[in-house]
Amino acid sequence: MKYRFEIIPSLCIGCRTCELACAFSHAKDKKPGRSRIYPLAYAPDKYVPVVCLQCDDPACVKSCMFNALKRNEETGAIDLDEERCVKCMACVAACPFGCAMVDAGHDEIVKCDICKGNPACVQFCPTKALVYNKV
Amino acid sequence: MAHITINGKVVKAHEGEMLLAVIKRLGIDVPALCNHEAIEPTGNCRLCMVEITRPEWEGWKKNVTSCLYPVEDGLIVNTHTPELLEIRKTLLDLQLARCPNSELIQKMAEEYGVHETSYIANVEGDNCIMCYACTRICEVLGKSAISAVMRGQKKVIAPPFGEEPVDCIGCLACAQICPTDVIPYEDKDGIRTIWKKKFELVTCKNCGKTIVTRDFADYLIEQRRIPHEYFETCDDCKRLELAKKMGGLITKAAEVAV
Ligand code: FES
Repeated sequence: MKYRFEIIPSLCIGCRTCELACAFSHAKDKKPGRSRIYPLAYAPDKYVPVVCLQCDDPACVKSCMFNALKRNEETGAIDLDEERCVKCMACVAACPFGCAMVDAGHDEIVKCDICKGNPACVQFCPTKALVYNKV
Repeated sequence: MAHITINGKVVKAHEGEMLLAVIKRLGIDVPALCNHEAIEPTGNCRLCMVEITRPEWEGWKKNVTSCLYPVEDGLIVNTHTPELLEIRKTLLDLQLARCPNSELIQKMAEEYGVHETSYIANVEGDNCIMCYACTRICEVLGKSAISAVMRGQKKVIAPPFGEEPVDCIGCLACAQICPTDVIPYEDKDGIRTIWKKKFELVTCKNCGKTIVTRDFADYLIEQRRIPHEYFETCDDCKRLELAKKMGGLITKAAEVAV
């Protein structure tokens, strides 16, 4: 892994710009995709941007009977191979953090792919609560 | 890396990958119904046929199913020769006779100029094109709960003895992969019905949302050693839980700092 995606919740103001950036950067057929990141409130006015943590021992990868989920060594992300996915929802059910989701609009399973190494949420986050750094 | 010529253009491809994958990557429109990355190709629908030749074949050519033909260096491929168009037209004409009610087949046939089948349409048919994608995916899953039964015209995909399939875990992979969407299922009141078998859906303990069947979850827990707690709540609730957990840590850290 050459890069690390970092979340700094104390800087998050819950503006949801990351959500927009994510949805638009994953648009398909002129329709925005489902956001893979959600700033969620844990207390009044206190937020944590919840996004796939790209676990070291990922439950989604284990749960996929069709090998559709694989680690991308470049970006460090667990990438979903749409061509292999049969939408059985195993990963959606198995991810302990709920970060594999169903995009009903596009009828597909989605998860954070760190935008193939150029995360849109990081670029747009106004408070730099999201960082993507070389390690 | 191998170099092959597709429709007059030299392209790079991985030695051994199937021609259809390269063709798709280039955005060339070759119809294919029975191919899916998650299953081994079997060349059942025949629609993905392309013409191949090599310089040393001295003009000799042959038509092959591209989903089954591995890339070899120096291959010359043509995807839209008049002969191929004719073959695809005939195939779609036959498919349309078998599945006159399938919107997908109608659309594909239309694209090849078949507005109505020239054979006898099987109006009462069930739109199954006998591509075996469902049985193949079930096999990959390690279950093989369904298979082809009977022979010839009577051949259908069904569970053994037409009864509730004992090995089925209600994962829906067969219904999802079916190109013509002919495998019916229903999720209602926490129960999934597929192949006439009823399955309990795992219900989120917080909000009641359902995602997979109990049997499928148990299969994953056992086969892939995933902790069973992971399945107790739905994705929405789990995201919230994560936020709360991280929030708790932040609050604690702040207290310590003070
Ligand atoms: S896709 Fe190749 S034969 Fe069906």
